[in-house]
Amino acid sequence: MALSRDAYRALGDIVGPGYISEDPAVMDSYAYQWLAETVRPNHSKFMPRPEAALLPASTKEVQAIVRTCNKYKIKFKAYSTGWYFYGAPFSEGVIQMDMRRMDHIVEIDEKNMVAVIEPYVIAGVLQAEVMKRGLNCTVTGAGASCSTLVGATCYHGSGGTSIYTGELRENLLGAEWVMPNGEILRTGSVGSGCGWFCAEGPGPSMRGIVRGALGARGGLGVYTKCAVKLSPWPGPTEFPIEGTVPAYRSPLPKNFRAYTVAFKDWGSLFEAYYRLYDNEICYYAHRQWTMLGADLGPAFWMLYQDPTKSLDDIQEFVRKREVKELTEEMRRSFQLVLVGMSQRDIAYKEKVLDRILEETGGWKVKKWLEPEMEQFSLLYLLRLGRKNLNFVYTGGWVGNFMQSGTPDFVKKYEPIAEDATEEYQEKGLLVDCGSDSMMGCVGSIGGGGQCGLEQFGFYDVADKASTAAAVEWMKHCIQEEARRNIPPGKEGMYLAVGKTHAELQRDLAKQPLTHTWQRKIKQALDPNNLGDRMYPTLDEK
Amino acid sequence: MKVKTSAGLADIIGKQKVIDKAQVLDRYSRDNSFTPSMRPRLVVQPRNADDVQKIVMWANQTRTPLVPVSSGEPHFRGDTVPSVPEAVIVDLHRMNKIIRIDRRNRMVVIEPGVTYTQVQPALAEQGLRLSMPLLPRQSKSVLASLLEREPRLEPKYSYTLPEPLRCLEVVWGNGEIQRTGEAGGYYPTLEQQWKMGLAQVFSGGPGQVDYYRLVSGAQGSMGIATWASVKCEILPGVHRFFLIPSDDLKDLIECAYRLLRVRLGDEFLVLNSVNLAAILSREADGIRALRDKVAPWVLIMGIAGRDLFPEERVDFQEKDTRDIVQQFALKLLPAVSGVRGGQVMSTILNPSSVPYWKLAYKGGCQDIFFMTTLDKIPEFVNTVFAGANALQYPVSDIGTYLQPQHQGTSCHCEFNLPYDPGNKIEVGRVRELLQTCSEALIKQGAYFSRPYGIWADMVYNRDAANKEMIKTVKGIFDPNNVLNPGKLCF
Amino acid sequence: MALEDYRDDCTDCSRCSYCKWIPLDHIKSAKFARACPSIEYCGFQAYSLAGRLSVGLSLLEGRIGYNDNLKDIVWKCQLDGACDVSDKVCRYNIRGLEVMREMRFKLVEDGQTLPQHKPYIDSLRKEKNMMMKPGVNRGKWADGLDVKNLAEDKAAVVFHAGCRYSYDRGLQKTARAAVTLLRNAGVDIGIMGEEESCCGGRAYQWGYRKDLNAFARKNAQAWTDAGVKTVVTPCAECYYTFKRLYPEIGFTFEVVHVSEYIDRLIRKGKIKLRKNVPLTVTYHDPCHLGRLGEPYVPWQGTKQKIYGQIPVWKPSRPRYTGARGVYDAPRNVLKSIPGLTLVEMERIREYAWCCGVGGGVLEAYPEFAAWTASERLAEAKATGAEAIVSACPWCENNFADTVKTQDERIKVYDVIDLIHMAL
Repeated sequence: MALSRDAYRALGDIVGPGYISEDPAVMDSYAYQWLAETVRPNHSKFMPRPEAALLPASTKEVQAIVRTCNKYKIKFKAYSTGWYFYGAPFSEGVIQMDMRRMDHIVEIDEKNMVAVIEPYVIAGVLQAEVMKRGLNCTVTGAGASCSTLVGATCYHGSGGTSIYTGELRENLLGAEWVMPNGEILRTGSVGSGCGWFCAEGPGPSMRGIVRGALGARGGLGVYTKCAVKLSPWPGPTEFPIEGTVPAYRSPLPKNFRAYTVAFKDWGSLFEAYYRLYDNEICYYAHRQWTMLGADLGPAFWMLYQDPTKSLDDIQEFVRKREVKELTEEMRRSFQLVLVGMSQRDIAYKEKVLDRILEETGGWKVKKWLEPEMEQFSLLYLLRLGRKNLNFVYTGGWVGNFMQSGTPDFVKKYEPIAEDATEEYQEKGLLVDCGSDSMMGCVGSIGGGGQCGLEQFGFYDVADKASTAAAVEWMKHCIQEEARRNIPPGKEGMYLAVGKTHAELQRDLAKQPLTHTWQRKIKQALDPNNLGDRMYPTLDEK
Repeated sequence: MKVKTSAGLADIIGKQKVIDKAQVLDRYSRDNSFTPSMRPRLVVQPRNADDVQKIVMWANQTRTPLVPVSSGEPHFRGDTVPSVPEAVIVDLHRMNKIIRIDRRNRMVVIEPGVTYTQVQPALAEQGLRLSMPLLPRQSKSVLASLLEREPRLEPKYSYTLPEPLRCLEVVWGNGEIQRTGEAGGYYPTLEQQWKMGLAQVFSGGPGQVDYYRLVSGAQGSMGIATWASVKCEILPGVHRFFLIPSDDLKDLIECAYRLLRVRLGDEFLVLNSVNLAAILSREADGIRALRDKVAPWVLIMGIAGRDLFPEERVDFQEKDTRDIVQQFALKLLPAVSGVRGGQVMSTILNPSSVPYWKLAYKGGCQDIFFMTTLDKIPEFVNTVFAGANALQYPVSDIGTYLQPQHQGTSCHCEFNLPYDPGNKIEVGRVRELLQTCSEALIKQGAYFSRPYGIWADMVYNRDAANKEMIKTVKGIFDPNNVLNPGKLCF
Repeated sequence: MALEDYRDDCTDCSRCSYCKWIPLDHIKSAKFARACPSIEYCGFQAYSLAGRLSVGLSLLEGRIGYNDNLKDIVWKCQLDGACDVSDKVCRYNIRGLEVMREMRFKLVEDGQTLPQHKPYIDSLRKEKNMMMKPGVNRGKWADGLDVKNLAEDKAAVVFHAGCRYSYDRGLQKTARAAVTLLRNAGVDIGIMGEEESCCGGRAYQWGYRKDLNAFARKNAQAWTDAGVKTVVTPCAECYYTFKRLYPEIGFTFEVVHVSEYIDRLIRKGKIKLRKNVPLTVTYHDPCHLGRLGEPYVPWQGTKQKIYGQIPVWKPSRPRYTGARGVYDAPRNVLKSIPGLTLVEMERIREYAWCCGVGGGVLEAYPEFAAWTASERLAEAKATGAEAIVSACPWCENNFADTVKTQDERIKVYDVIDLIHMAL
């Protein structure tokens, strides 16, 4: 279903000839997405091909595009950095807005710790710019390559530092939103012309419509600017970097400390979470290294330190005695970065950590105390510029579980995650890296109190049988969760992309009120139904 | 839920919960603001969410306006005074159960009638406390305070502006009942959630709307909250208060910025001498005497040690604070002009004594408050003082309260204008001052995020898009406009 | 190899966009965070490594056919390898650069060539150079130079000037200075003069795989006949071709960039720098000397799966990450010049921004080449340097042309020029 020539011309007139395309090769580069293979026929890597791709440069252009879409009844989908299938069209007849030209940091208000950004400002860039001013931003778990605006408005917004720097949902201080009807809403103080410092109000806070626990994932208009709260950074204005590619590391000053702390069992580990919440010492707290599997991960992290080695050498590392010992030592572990605002502060925090470890029977993993390992940890964890190492094994993974809640709640589904995965690993359907390949924030919201564990299953994306097994695993996890009275995890959200309308409606009916409100909101803001099911709604009976 | 249309309210929820005594109705027909009085038709006192839902359904069927009220008197903002005739006051103060205190997750679940006076001692028994607004009146509902987005004393714990409010149970204007945030997720009842170890911690959603934000700041016009979960802090083992006096507000603000930048200080607020005197003294002469004695501006800072090594934490943070304060040629002091930090601490960690602190000086008080950033505050102070001078209102009587919020990204700025309510000239002057200063401040860029009374028109006339959106949302959640009509923009 | 052999690489792309940025750990500013000129200039996703991998897969799956847009996607790229470096920080198994090159081979073999390249390739085949100049004039740059001609003589070291130094009148003095410098330092060096041929590397990068073989054979034979053990070149593209591509075909000589050779000689005390050169300069890492200049490691292997699903190569396949490129030698040389101050740009070494020339972009898309250069010049100027120095005539030529046409105020030098000034 090609666009009418009138529509194509009208859209082209908005952005100019160099910024619109309907060439099939260009369209396929937009259709290609990670995770498409889990929901598309024959495990294709391609989502439906967009009818055209546009590169708008301003809010004005975005608004004009949306208005044109309303005129011609064309569905549209915008993405920023475009990582994974949520950003792609879900059906034929959709135009793709690629927001990469809107890449400005509009303002950094150093004193008030506020940054105003456009969609294509990635976390790594924002962090680099605010570090120059003694500030830091939340880098979401997806890493430094992802758009900060997306974390704040469109999707999740937690990261390893959320316990200190806040979740981006919390940090949102205002948004500029081209709604699907073509109108623009600026939430909070900026809407009143007072500057970007408060997203709430005036009066009842329409910030609540902008996003909830989750954003609209491109299904309800386009966010063209937002303001986010920044946090203290008592470090250098840029990361000093040493080491050879890819094992970069950063020798930060002594008020920065990175630890991998480990525990004898899950109970002690989660107890430590509570103790850390109560004592407010964390700058970064996250299970990160275990994402590559408790059995295989340590070998990979050691291999990674040696630039002459390749993944092909991993078995050699697994066989090393010291790696075997390390694997056992850090089997139940997570990563911490303590940052002192002063020398007194870091000394106090260290003392508190030692006491917490004493109380919970935890320990600091020795290998990670070595200066170069600590420097590696600091750079990796604070910039999160190598997060896509989760693709290193096979090019494909899916993250199941990750239901957020108190540590006591997460503790309940951890064994289910292991059980549900073990069988698939043992049969060789997923990478056999250890049934605990779980990562997640120790504190996914500001101040802690909530955490989650995402169980990674690695499948060979180039092997359709392996991909099929991963999909089976996802379904198996949902069944196991249901059997044990645990809500479906992220795998449920992923698989929903491929469901039929009827299947989806059955799911949505389990929370009828939420999805009825969303229908009413969508009807009001998207009268021509130009968004997609990323903003799910329950049909009117 | 079906409600018999023909039935009167008393038939639906029981006549003991419905009051129509003129004396009672009169009390709800006015408050301490300049809002025109309007006598309600009835006062109804629900005991639980089921009652509330029945009342709202009845109101929809009978097209009766409802005005939710949680706090006891005195009221100040006009939001609880009906704007239209024949309204029914839904007084929630009898819904005052502390449903659950969870030390491990530091959460408390409370009904709307629970006051700070009631909850803090109960929490203290569990080693917890709630962060508070500045000296709430003893009858102030915790839930109402949170929904009104009253600023808290501890900016560093404000990871998002509505903190520490997390989840709600809401009866929307159309009578639907919903639990918000994590509480509206997979497990339908609180009991099931508790059994699974959940504690209504996460405020977002459910789904892609932050419902609790739609209720916040709505002056009861979107929904009626029947319980809320609230994040608590650990009761400090060691807690000290310090004062940083300054003759120059700008110097103090620069210092405040530096301290906020490293998240030093638990309680962290700036009062001018008038307000410092007003919170510490209980009568006019004492206020005047103290006001004239202390520095014009005082930054009040509490440093708390919680859980492990509390003494050490307070010690090092005091030293760190002192190092910073010295850089601004200011002093971190345990006492100023006879005012001791401990005295301030015992005052502001509790609700106000009676009479309410703002009324102690002259018996009446009008407030002007808005949000801004710290750096802009001196300009706003100038505007208000100039406005007062123009109307011959004594600048020396104006109380000022600055409360950094959201970890220092914004600041609540409040001016308190005491007056004698029995003196018509003073009343007229304050009324005019309120009007002219508000207009001038808005023009100057003050953000009236909580637009009570006369501010609503001023604010919504400047932000047509938000006004339109609010009306849209109101149309969805309260399609018959039964909840507090006439307020805000509908 | 054929594109089909890279199907897994195309499928494996995680669409993470790392290929668009310098390694994220190194980002220091919004202004100089980008790695890929192609996506920055062209905008659409297809013009990134990830985009090209998806286009490759689309071709393999028959979803798209050939058209002019596809050619544009395939060739509007310098093949500078920055994307590949950033990608491999996390993705050990993807061969992004190789896929992009393989797409060019496929198109050329299928007769889908880029018209703008045709005259250059025709001329190359006839005149043995990429400058569209008569082959007979190739040795003229060395007229009057007191150096052995290895077409008639023998020497241990051959100085291979490369096409641009041989024909670009503005740059010839640099080549002459280099030869003089080496000879004066006692190196047994010669040149091939008129008999020197193009290395074949540029044609290879443009997609003309077979042409490389022909030139490799010819050059290798000539050097062998002249008793050459070591090939020294001042051209980064030639260096890459000799160092990385020739061994793959089976020709192994010691290959040294002139900056490396000079560095050695300075350290041995055979070159002494006495004159003050009071300049603040910044050094531009040529892609083919830096990240692409890693030595070839012979390897053959097969793919198998371990731990259930991890595809690995047995024996271990060499990883080209950019780590072993030539970065320090030219910097050492610059630092040894009295009075000279070296300041660094934000994007350096393996994550340097390209000058804009490579991959046939200069010839097919001159405006894109100039834009890419101007981005680099802006970065150089941001350091406060008075001059940008490189170690490749193609970079220098493009920088110099851009300075001229865009009225920039920054000088352009080769490392050799500065050494010459310091003697």
